[in-house]
Formats: sequence, structure tokens, C-alpha cells
Amino acid sequence: MNPHHHLDPSTVVSYAAGALALEVAIVAATHLETCAHCRGRVGEAERIGGQLVEQQQPSAADADRLADLRASILHRLDEAAAPVAAAMARGAPYEDDDRLPTPLHPYFGTSYRSLKWRWMAPGVHCIRASGTRTGTLLMLKIGAGRSMPVHGHGGTELTQILRGAYHDALGHFAPGDVADLDSDVEHQPVTVPGAACICVSALDAPLRFPGWLARKLQPLFKL
Amino acid sequence: MLAVSRLRDRASFMRIYDHFMPRLCLYLRGLGSPDAVAEELAQEALLRLWHRAAQYDPQHGAVSTWLFRIGRNLHIDRVRCEQGWVQVLEDAVPASDEDLAHPFSAAEDYAEHARLQRRIQELPAIQARLMRMSYFESKSHQEIADELQMPLGTVKSHLRRAFLRLQGQIRDQP
Repeated sequence: MNPHHHLDPSTVVSYAAGALALEVAIVAATHLETCAHCRGRVGEAERIGGQLVEQQQPSAADADRLADLRASILHRLDEAAAPVAAAMARGAPYEDDDRLPTPLHPYFGTSYRSLKWRWMAPGVHCIRASGTRTGTLLMLKIGAGRSMPVHGHGGTELTQILRGAYHDALGHFAPGDVADLDSDVEHQPVTVPGAACICVSALDAPLRFPGWLARKLQPLFKL
Repeated sequence: MLAVSRLRDRASFMRIYDHFMPRLCLYLRGLGSPDAVAEELAQEALLRLWHRAAQYDPQHGAVSTWLFRIGRNLHIDRVRCEQGWVQVLEDAVPASDEDLAHPFSAAEDYAEHARLQRRIQELPAIQARLMRMSYFESKSHQEIADELQMPLGTVKSHLRRAFLRLQGQIRDQP
């Protein structure tokens, strides 16, 4: 898998800084699992973080406290290391067709087969993740050859394509691609014929639908 | 760093400790940890560096990058109490070492380090401010937009330009 649409550099910076809303971070991590290009960029943003931390000028006022801490760590250098938690199984995420990407497991389970889809609109099914607090994390399944209502975004929408594909004014989005959109973008995704498109989206603010029908439906679906 | 890995040399570790301990404490306090928690997490991060120095590959990334990652993860784990976050970071992070495109030799690493340091100092004021709000206050794009009463798109474009500048990919006038 060789994604063509990547995370915006501003998303990479905030991911590395630990500053993204949790839902957005989960979708970003889903993209990172398949994208070496973006993993490299996160590494670079972490290097910037390290450098920023190093460039701070600590005050001399804490000298006494630091001397105590220094003495205490010297004592601890001979302690045995705490066992390192076993690294998670990181197998190639898309080799097993039925396995969901690892960052989604706590919210949607581990397999596509066991997803419990709920009807949302003609041709559209969804699952809303529980256990997230600030924004919305949503898995969507959109039937082949369907067009979604035109919508804009109150805030950020980050969408990772898992299966199938869609196109809109920004291009063609296939599995592995991420659409990193902000409030300037209004778009109407149309899924390609053949297979349903499954994607996972994080929203940190409600969507904006210019059409009256979609706007009427919006409260029903809590988007 | 090589000396820590190969000889487990205490003196060389303690030089790293003396340099980074006050800076890590400052970073963690800035993120909102109370003093005692910041000290405890910073000690823990440095102790992990000592114990895992054998795994640490000096070819990849600086000590500062490694300590930044550990400090950030410890903070999120302890203070934000959002279980998913650290898992999310750790899922993606181990691979990023391998993926770092340029394994530097020590001399190149130093030159790269100095170049990045200079670029940070030369960032335009607004870009520097938004980077600090992201890294040192862990504010999201929306939180920055609200606090500075700036359109969300403008926040993102400043951060985007700052990142690309620090990478040396664009040069615009400060």
C-alpha cells in the first residue's frame, strides 16, 4: 500500500506534540500504520520537539532541589530495569483482509466481520465509537456509486480510507489515503462503483450542510 | 551516547542527566504537571534512558528526541488519563526510528542539529508562538484558534509553514 494523500504538516506537528484531540489522533495513527512517508515526518516533528525542549533555559533557582534529585538517581542506577512491556503485535495490518488497523481496536474491535453497522441514510451505514470524550469518531460504510450530501466542516475532519474508494474535488481517495480537511473545504464525496467504501472519520466540530434536507436530517444523526 | 551504550559509563550518563533533567522538568511543568509529578516523570524518563541505552541506536535521532518522546508519553499517560493516546503514540512511534530517512554520522548529526537550532531561532514570531503553544502547552489547532481569535485555517497554515521552514523546505521572510 502506497498512500497518495498524506497528513497535513500541521496535523503531523500536533500529533508529535501530543496536542491533537484523541479522536483525530486515532485516525492519524491509523494512517501512520500504513504510511512510511508520514511516519518519517512524525519522527522529524519529534526531533523538533526534542530540540525545543533542549533550547529552554532553566533557571538556577532550583539548584538545591536538583542536587537532591541527582543524588537519588545515582542510587537507582544499580536497580534492575523494570521489565519492558512486550511490544504489541504489529503484523502487517492489511495482509489479513479481515483485520482492522490496530489503533481502532479499542473502539471498533479487531475485525471487519464483527462490525455492527447501523443504518444511517439510504446506502450509508455507520458505527459511532463510544469512550471518546471531546469529538466524534465514526466508522462509515457508503454503498458503491453513491454521492454524499455536500458538506463543509465547523472544524477539522480527518478521514482514513480503509476499503473501496471515493472521489471529490480534491482527488481520488483509495485505501491507505487520508483526507485532512479543515473549515475552508466544502466537498461532496462520490464513492466509486464496485465495492462499498469503508472509512473512519474524526470530527472535532459539527459538519455544516448547506442543503436544507441534509440540514434537517443532521440532528437525527447527531453530526 | 556511545559511551553509555557500550560501557554503561556513569559519568557520561550523569553529564546527559545534568543537561536534560532541568529542561525536562521545565517542559513537563509547562504541560501542566505539578512540580513533584514533573520531577518524578523526568527522573523516570532519564532512568529509562540509562536502562535501555543498549537498545538506543545513536545512529538514529538525538538523545533529545528520545527523551522528548518518553517525557511526552509519560505525561499523557499520567496527566491526561486518556488511555487510548499513549497506545496510539506507541503504535506509531517504534517504526518512526527505522523510517527516519537520514541516518546521520556523528558529524552530520551535529551539523543537522546546529542547522535546526538556527532555523528555530529564525522562525517568524507568530510561527514560533504557535509551535510553542503546540509543543509546550499541547493546545489543539482549535484551542489555539479560540485563544488567539484567529481563523482555524490560519492556525494550520502558520504551523504548516513553520514545519516546512524548519525542514529547510521553504524560506520566507521572517
